[in-house]
Amino acid sequence: MDSPIPAVEIKNLVKDFKTSFRKQMLRAVDGVSIRIMPGEVYGLIGPNGSGKSTTMKALLGLVAPTAGQCAIFGKDSLKVDSRNDVGFLPENPYFYKHLSGAETLRFYGKLCGLKGKTLDARVSELLALVDLEGARDRRLGGYSKGMLQRIGLAQALVQEPRLVILDEPTAGVDPIGSRQIRDLILKLKEQGITVFLCSHLLEQVQEVCDHVGIIFRGRMVKEGKLDDLIAIEDQTEIVLKDASPELLSQITALIENSKGTTLIRTGKPRTTLERLFLRETTNREDQP
Amino acid sequence: MTAKTDHTTHGSHLGRILVIAFHAFTQLVRMKVFYFLAVFAVIAIASNFFDLPQHEGPEAEGINVLRSIKSWSLGTMTLFSVVLSIVATALLLPKDVEDRTLYTILAKPVPRIDYLAGKLLGVLLLVFVSLALMDVLMTGVLQIRSSMVLDQQLAMAHSLGWPPAAIESLRAETALHGPSWSLQGAVFAVFLRASIMASLALLISTFSSSTLFTTIISFLIYFIGHFQADARDAYLQAGQAGEGIFARMATLVISLVMPDFQNFNVIDAVIEGQAMPILILGKLTLIGLYYALFFTVASWFVFAEKEF
Repeated sequence: MDSPIPAVEIKNLVKDFKTSFRKQMLRAVDGVSIRIMPGEVYGLIGPNGSGKSTTMKALLGLVAPTAGQCAIFGKDSLKVDSRNDVGFLPENPYFYKHLSGAETLRFYGKLCGLKGKTLDARVSELLALVDLEGARDRRLGGYSKGMLQRIGLAQALVQEPRLVILDEPTAGVDPIGSRQIRDLILKLKEQGITVFLCSHLLEQVQEVCDHVGIIFRGRMVKEGKLDDLIAIEDQTEIVLKDASPELLSQITALIENSKGTTLIRTGKPRTTLERLFLRETTNREDQP
Repeated sequence: MTAKTDHTTHGSHLGRILVIAFHAFTQLVRMKVFYFLAVFAVIAIASNFFDLPQHEGPEAEGINVLRSIKSWSLGTMTLFSVVLSIVATALLLPKDVEDRTLYTILAKPVPRIDYLAGKLLGVLLLVFVSLALMDVLMTGVLQIRSSMVLDQQLAMAHSLGWPPAAIESLRAETALHGPSWSLQGAVFAVFLRASIMASLALLISTFSSSTLFTTIISFLIYFIGHFQADARDAYLQAGQAGEGIFARMATLVISLVMPDFQNFNVIDAVIEGQAMPILILGKLTLIGLYYALFFTVASWFVFAEKEF
């Protein structure tokens, strides 16, 4: 059986930029290779200025590689037809403020060749998906940051792409908005859509991605399946519910008596601050 | 989400260009650029009362007012159309780059030439609609005023006992200064000149880093375009240096890339009541199309290589 065509194939990407003065070259991306198979959620992480956005722009044909190739579902990124199957949400996007949410989606839909009732239905479907039905006729000038990110995600999905590229999708968004976007990414994953995202919110990347690449100063320093990368191979975790102190002391004694095993830590697992925040601020019955 | 179906045709070039054009038009309209029409209305009506110096006899009295209306109206149309075409074009492209909306558009299956052509067409649509509205207003004012002038002149001619042939000649002379097809041709020429400027501003904005730079350079070229033909002729007639093949080639190249706006002086002739031959209008249309296409294709060459 033939192996499927990768959704994203970046081979030895190099990108140099001219600096303003003295015409010195700045290498933003240095020999990066990434392969994302259909249906995967891939997170590219790295500090600011490490080359994440440049890699994404090269994949979208917004910048031309100095060396190397980028392809989307086997089509060269520098060709327009490679963009038929991709949706993109840039970092901090500012859409046209004079358009309403529905008008924005109609504009991008028409650019992708959608029209008539199909377009109307798609616009309504996307507004429902990103929970912006109530703001469909409100101009984007009056949208909050989280709403802008969600309408941005909706426009990225307008032509039902097989690949979605998200550049810092939750930057500047509050935890609730951030959680909504995370849930949307998980929904895309369930539908088999390939997602390529970059972020420096590591906890979120860990929650949604199944493959991760770490980029530093333009170079890929670590890449692989998330579970493989973060697993501590020589340790085992047991989480118990309602365990009595007697049972715990029995387990501890058992471990102490076994050769070659060391008890590193016991205690209560902690929730995350994000989960605590969400629990305290959403669906509270005492709030109007 | 629905399954991907056949309906996702990726659209035609023309379809995408029109989508971007109507969007650019909407964007500019929502910036409230049509407010200037109120200013134009004031100018068109006020031009009825501007006193021009008279050197002719009393029979020309009313004609001066008609000339004044045409002169002020076409002058204002030229000003607004050139300013609109330069500023709007210089504004739209850098704004999309700064706001990163360009990323979202070019990340869709939109060729860069479609984007450029759409933006230019949107500005031209706005200029065309503006000129059409101003034209309706000018023609209306001119129609009312010319019938008033004609009535006054005929009354004067009858009271002075002019022969029928002279009265008919007076009627024809006055009609030349009223609304005419030549006047519509002059408005179209104003549109063509604005189209050249919009496409030139598009070219400059593809490599300029700011709206201000694009606007200043565009206006500079606009003014140069009004005397470049004179400068060229003076150079060619300036003795030996101007007669060589090199000099002639250089002036030819300059005239191919720099529009000669003296071709549009025919608008002044229309204000003076002369007819605009259809051949002249055809020539102006070809000139307008040539430069608009030339500058748009040049913009594409620059924009196709641009990185964001």
